[in-house]
Amino acid sequence: MAAATSVRRRGFGSTLRYGVPWRGLLIHGASIVFILWIVLPFGWLVLTSLMTEAESLSVPPHWIPDYITFDNYIAFVDPTILGNQQLAGGGAAQGAARAMLNSTIVALSVAILNMIIGSLAGYAFARLHFRGSALLLMTYLATRMVPALAIMVSLYLIFQTFALLDTLFALILSYLTFTVPYSVWIMASYFRTIPRDLEDAARVDRCNWINMMLRVFLPVASPGLVACGMFAFMSSWGEFLYALLFTSTLNSRTMPIVIASFVTDVTASPTLMSAGGVLAVLLPLGLALIFQRLIVSGITAGAVKG
Amino acid sequence: MAAAETLAGARSGRGARIELSEGSFAYLLNLPAILAIVLLVAYPIADAFWLSLHRYNLRRPEAYAFVGLQNYLDVFTNDQFLASLGVTLFFTFWSTVGVLVLALGMALVANEHIPQRPLLRALILLPWAMSGVVTALMWKWIFNPNAGALNGILHSLGLIGNYRSWLMSPDTSYLAIVTANVWNTLPFSALVLLAGLQAIPSELYDAAKVDRASIWPRFRHVTLPWLSQPILIVLIVQALGGIRIFDIIYLLTGGGPGYQTTTLGFAAYVTSFITTDIGRGNAWSYTVAILTLLIAIFYMKLLYGRGDIRT
Repeated sequence: MAAATSVRRRGFGSTLRYGVPWRGLLIHGASIVFILWIVLPFGWLVLTSLMTEAESLSVPPHWIPDYITFDNYIAFVDPTILGNQQLAGGGAAQGAARAMLNSTIVALSVAILNMIIGSLAGYAFARLHFRGSALLLMTYLATRMVPALAIMVSLYLIFQTFALLDTLFALILSYLTFTVPYSVWIMASYFRTIPRDLEDAARVDRCNWINMMLRVFLPVASPGLVACGMFAFMSSWGEFLYALLFTSTLNSRTMPIVIASFVTDVTASPTLMSAGGVLAVLLPLGLALIFQRLIVSGITAGAVKG
Repeated sequence: MAAAETLAGARSGRGARIELSEGSFAYLLNLPAILAIVLLVAYPIADAFWLSLHRYNLRRPEAYAFVGLQNYLDVFTNDQFLASLGVTLFFTFWSTVGVLVLALGMALVANEHIPQRPLLRALILLPWAMSGVVTALMWKWIFNPNAGALNGILHSLGLIGNYRSWLMSPDTSYLAIVTANVWNTLPFSALVLLAGLQAIPSELYDAAKVDRASIWPRFRHVTLPWLSQPILIVLIVQALGGIRIFDIIYLLTGGGPGYQTTTLGFAAYVTSFITTDIGRGNAWSYTVAILTLLIAIFYMKLLYGRGDIRT
């Protein structure tokens, strides 16, 4: 309100040109509030992960650790460092290395499958005229909105029938349900931005279609491919519901399940739990920062991934 | 038409002599995606509906029988249904309002030429990169009744006399799950709105300045109309996400205290997988799906109108 009045005065008669710069103050103040709103919760998680367990439980809370320790992180690689405390979080820390590997395998496979499936279908939408193309694209979009809750039981029974429960394959298949529609969408819209001259040039060289795709088209479309793969990777990396239902042992358990077992176990140590949380976010955060531009344009182009 | 020529060219290359019309080729390219959708989404959703018409408990598989809409009647007449529908709508409403207001503020600030702009824009991606599970873990620790940061801060500021268990008391547990969800889903909306702001031609603002329009009329008549579509997208995506919320509930409150924070999705999970009542559980899930469908139809009409779906 204050800002509005001040600018109005300035706008109308410039009588108060040297008045208090309310608008600037408001913008700077708000930017600081927003930065703190993002940084403080996560910052506290990071600080806790660097504390000893005793310090993290002190009342009132210590904001800055007296003594910085990396033991909570080392424990994920070498659980023996925890001594008699190894059972914290249901022994979650012990499974973390394997879970991290499982998460990486699943997320990478989903990303690669999406890049293949997405670019095949995306090419059809961007370049070919065929009956029912609008309907098909709408169908993909509609599937993107089917809640996981609505198909979880049925998928569970299917995986049970084919003895796929507790395998990484079941997770990969179930993650295709929410990634493929988005990938088709993102590839179709990216391919549309690529000039047709390229393919015409390739035709002169008498390449066949697959060669043309691999040698000419996809290299040019690589930013779109990277965006597609990265969105698929990130949404698979953090997925929780299907992982909770379809995994039961370390055979297929992924990182979100390990993290969740810290959260639901009342005896879990907060320091170990925090370190687990920070570890789980490092990879997606790194990717997000590296591909900042791609993400922003991907989100705004598709506006589908919530 | 260039596409058809390309295809012809493709076929004439290196002995690949399979004669394919453009249409069949397009469907061949779509085959993997269609297979994935049909087998992993379309079949399961039909199957889920079929199962919801049956009495089917994994503990008593011999009692399997067709019961028509009985499960839906049971669910709808259950006291808990109205309660959890209420919780879901309440959660969705406040998350959406919270996100819209904060995201609009964040986008407006991130669109200004201030030194901290690159920092803010990079930081927006932090909650986006964080999965629901890690978000829940972080907030669970903040809301911790003994050594949590919220108690620590509020107590040292003198705002609360005693430490409180935020997640265990009925009034604050709502607030807790909404806060965690807003924190997690804010970046997406802020980025959508920011892109909307950047699409506004600056001449419009210059014109408004010439007209000596002050900041509120400028916002009202220049900014808001241009933002109407991004705002609709934010509302819809938030609503879709709110109705199906699961992980934050499961991890932060477990639906408690009592059934205070039991949403439809959480009830569907408990009925299907804890009490193993597949038939009734699917009736719960389908209720979520139907609510989603109502919003989705609206969303698709919007995207269609925007020209995102082209033939």
